[in-house]
Amino acid sequence: MNAFLFNIQKFSVHDGPGIRTSIFFKGCNLRCRWCANPESQCAEPQTFTNTKTGEVSPVGKAYSIADIMHEVLKDKAFYEHSGGGVTLTGGEVFLQLDFALELCAALQKEKIHIAIETAGAVPLPRFQSLVGQVDLIYMDLKHYNDQKHKDGTGISNDQILQNMAWAARHTNLIVRIPVIPGFNDRLEDAKAFGTLLAQMDVPQVQLLPFHQMGDQKYNYLGWDYAYANQKALTKEALEPFREIIANKGVNVKNGAN
Amino acid sequence: MEQIRIKKLTDRMNQFRETLLDTRQNVCSERALWTTKAYKEHEMDQIVLKRAYMLKEVLAHMSIYIEDETLLVGNQASSNRAAPIFPEYAMDWVIRELDDFDKRNGDRFYITEETKENLREIYPYWKGRTLQDKAYAAYPESAKLIYDLGIIRNEGNITSGDAHLAVDYEGLLKYGLNHYRHRTEEKLSSLDLTVFDDMKRSYFYQAILIVLDSVEQFAGRYAQLAEEKAASATPARAAELKEIARICRKVPMEPAASFQEALQSLWFVHLILQIESNGHSLSFGRFDQYCLPYYEMSRQDGMTCEAAEELLVNLWLKTMTINKVRSSGHSKFAAGSPMYQNVTIGGQTTDKKDAVNELSWLVLETVAATHLPQPNLSVRYFSRMSQPFMDACITVIKQGFGMPAFNNDEIIIPALMAQGVHEEDAYNYSAIGCVEVGVPGKWGYRCTGMSYLNFPKTLMTALNDGVDLNTGEKICTGTGHFLQMESFEDVLHAWDQAARQLIKQGVILDNCADMVVEQEVPDILCSTLVADCIQRGKHLKEGGAVYDMISQLQVGVANLGDSLAALKKNVYENQVISRKDLWDALVSDFQTPDGARIQKLLLDAPKYGNDDDYVDELVVKGYDTYLDEIKKYKNTRYKRGVIGGQYFPGTSSVAANIAQGASTPATPDGRRSGEPLAEGCSPQHAVDVNGPTSVFKSVSKLKTKEIAGGVLLNQKVSPSMLVEKEDCLKLSALLRTFFDVLKGYHVQYNVVSKETMLDAQVHPEKHKDLIVRVAGYSTFFNLLSTATQNDIIERTEQNF
Repeated sequence: MNAFLFNIQKFSVHDGPGIRTSIFFKGCNLRCRWCANPESQCAEPQTFTNTKTGEVSPVGKAYSIADIMHEVLKDKAFYEHSGGGVTLTGGEVFLQLDFALELCAALQKEKIHIAIETAGAVPLPRFQSLVGQVDLIYMDLKHYNDQKHKDGTGISNDQILQNMAWAARHTNLIVRIPVIPGFNDRLEDAKAFGTLLAQMDVPQVQLLPFHQMGDQKYNYLGWDYAYANQKALTKEALEPFREIIANKGVNVKNGAN
Repeated sequence: MEQIRIKKLTDRMNQFRETLLDTRQNVCSERALWTTKAYKEHEMDQIVLKRAYMLKEVLAHMSIYIEDETLLVGNQASSNRAAPIFPEYAMDWVIRELDDFDKRNGDRFYITEETKENLREIYPYWKGRTLQDKAYAAYPESAKLIYDLGIIRNEGNITSGDAHLAVDYEGLLKYGLNHYRHRTEEKLSSLDLTVFDDMKRSYFYQAILIVLDSVEQFAGRYAQLAEEKAASATPARAAELKEIARICRKVPMEPAASFQEALQSLWFVHLILQIESNGHSLSFGRFDQYCLPYYEMSRQDGMTCEAAEELLVNLWLKTMTINKVRSSGHSKFAAGSPMYQNVTIGGQTTDKKDAVNELSWLVLETVAATHLPQPNLSVRYFSRMSQPFMDACITVIKQGFGMPAFNNDEIIIPALMAQGVHEEDAYNYSAIGCVEVGVPGKWGYRCTGMSYLNFPKTLMTALNDGVDLNTGEKICTGTGHFLQMESFEDVLHAWDQAARQLIKQGVILDNCADMVVEQEVPDILCSTLVADCIQRGKHLKEGGAVYDMISQLQVGVANLGDSLAALKKNVYENQVISRKDLWDALVSDFQTPDGARIQKLLLDAPKYGNDDDYVDELVVKGYDTYLDEIKKYKNTRYKRGVIGGQYFPGTSSVAANIAQGASTPATPDGRRSGEPLAEGCSPQHAVDVNGPTSVFKSVSKLKTKEIAGGVLLNQKVSPSMLVEKEDCLKLSALLRTFFDVLKGYHVQYNVVSKETMLDAQVHPEKHKDLIVRVAGYSTFFNLLSTATQNDIIERTEQNF
């Protein structure tokens, strides 16, 4: 069995504790208009065309479990010394669930800490099957309002909220909210997020300020980018937003650490 | 202590610092003139006596001054940061470049017409008498060719003194120079002049006595000047000046009995060693260990912590007043006129306990507060180093001036012991200059700093049947031309054969330089303060030191491995480039019709620094030739009383990667002709794209324990990546893994953003104290040539 990935990133330090390797699965069931990794969306191979040099490079590569473990194990000493491990992210890792399960088994055999990062838009039983195998789960919540969620990502938040409520009770869960200008960054939004998260009793929330690290990738794919001229947000600017959520009794912080 | 406190400098130290930052680098002719006079008057004397009389003449007559802000006195030249000229080492380049000093792109020096005139006047005397003249004349023909072509460089070894050591500062403070004087007198009086060796020793002992008298008188001159100045000073300053006068009448001859006395004693000797010789990398050794008793003594006597800090800052500022002018050619190898005055703190005591003490913290804090390129601060890491001290080091690293660098006890101590260093000495090692190590007070000159070998150029010569591509000169016996190399094994064989011949030529150059240094420029004070020179009656170059092991520098270790990997993959395995097409592309700097395609294939091949065994193994294999060959050779002190007397490998390259890259043709790693080479054991710039863990993994595959001379690794980190406490903890975990598990030797960080450096190129005036790490040392960005600046900007930034 092979997985289709678009990156394996060593020394990944913002997706879980310690020093980690992040495995980026290619293919996603959401189409977030602000997506910072647009090459993660299609499950098929693509190419980047460097707009300056014209150089074309492939995006996406098939990996076997052995291929991935070979890369992952290279940094095992760093995981052990830092309390780190491996993070499965994407794209959407649930779209390659069987492979992900097999990979988790291989990682467990090596006693490596596993985190996953997911939007969680899959049926609950599928969700549970993988979540049960990992040590830490990051779930993204883009919007509390279903219609808005559909506008921003192309799908409903129904399933996501259902899974999140379950995960809050049964797993080591951290919810991440990407704060996107004009989409979910008003103080009223913070209030609604806060109410919802408090209701679900989510143990920990992180706010990720909108950034522009991905804009070049849209150029390289030849795609339009809805947020092309949007200024990045700073952590500091999010402080009032954070406070409102915190006032609802939610453990929330700015940034991914 | 639990947390680092980097305080503001006191007003007067801040004033001192500002003045130093605004000081132009001048050239000073005083030492040259007094030296010439002494040499002329002592033509007939034995060389050791001539050297002693030289130092006596200079110390007795050179201008001295006491800065208004200072508590520690002693100056190297007629103004701070002025570089003296040392005519006995080399004069040709000085005269040739007199009118160009102030026109250089980097390392600019100012010089008055009067100084130029002074130097021109003494030049005829020195023609044919300098170290350089005599060493060059002595080079055997085969080695001379290699030197002339720039394949192997050792210009620094025949145009300046040796240094690269730490003398016995612990003994100096504890016993005072009078103790050394008495020992010398005793030895002298027990000689039997009918015995040839005793006869030789007698001159050395007499030279020591002359030098120690001169040092005492020199300190006395400062005592007198301080008293004179006290007469017209404010009452507060007058009291300080009187105390300075008292101290100068006591140290360095008598043992130190307070913190200020210790630092003054230390400074006098450290300073005079840099007047005696223009060797650099003169290091302080384990400062926090041997200064601690004096610090504690004064603290008990009521010295405040603030007063101790001010004295330390004062000492660091004093190190910044020392300077050295090198030829324009040599400056490219040591960009930014570095002095590499290393201060080592931390590590373990000889009984294997944590050596970090209150003074270690103060040194770290005050070096950070002073924030200048000198001294060069190294921290000895060991696995039980406390987390608060580790955090404190990272806090200082975040300040972005390249310090402290880490050396790792976990590999260095066993590596030294494997070379024959006794356990208690190995536990007492200190960094020398930048990354290299030696045992303070017991180790001879140049634990590093012998000749430079250019690995990629050697490979290109090997592929060209032993003929240098730039000049067409045959420089070694080849194994045939690349076009005839049917297998990759043929390529490896060609490298191995060419490299062994050139390594041998490097040793010949080194030994020849050392022979003439021994004959022409022995250092008397320096030898006095290294065990067992007095006991044996031998100066350092005669085999006076307890330990004497030296190492060379290599340039482009990574380029060699990357080139081998690209050849193996593209030419021999995948066969996507023919040998002819590749060769034509290389010699035309990729200007052949399909040169661009070929270059891309070469660039896409595996690169060292990404934890890819394919290429990392080839780096190790290529380097094995060096390890195996250099082991065979001895230095000029072998079997003359020292432990060692051999070479040990090391991978520093200072800034030579740029200068040597400029004369290296296009290489099979895809690097274009003239571009910089990789430095130390660091990956080639901008090819290590998998992050710092992969770099560490690649580096750790080298046989570090055999490379006891130093494995230099530079990493650049964007400052924005070290803002959060969490990020700093991850850096700490990263370093601990590298050191504890992977047994890395050394690492140092540049934490200056690309934007800042680009801005400094456009607005140098706004960044006059911007400091960057070059390669084992830090220097002002503004002092660097544009080429070196660009090189630093291009290093891959590791993101956290």
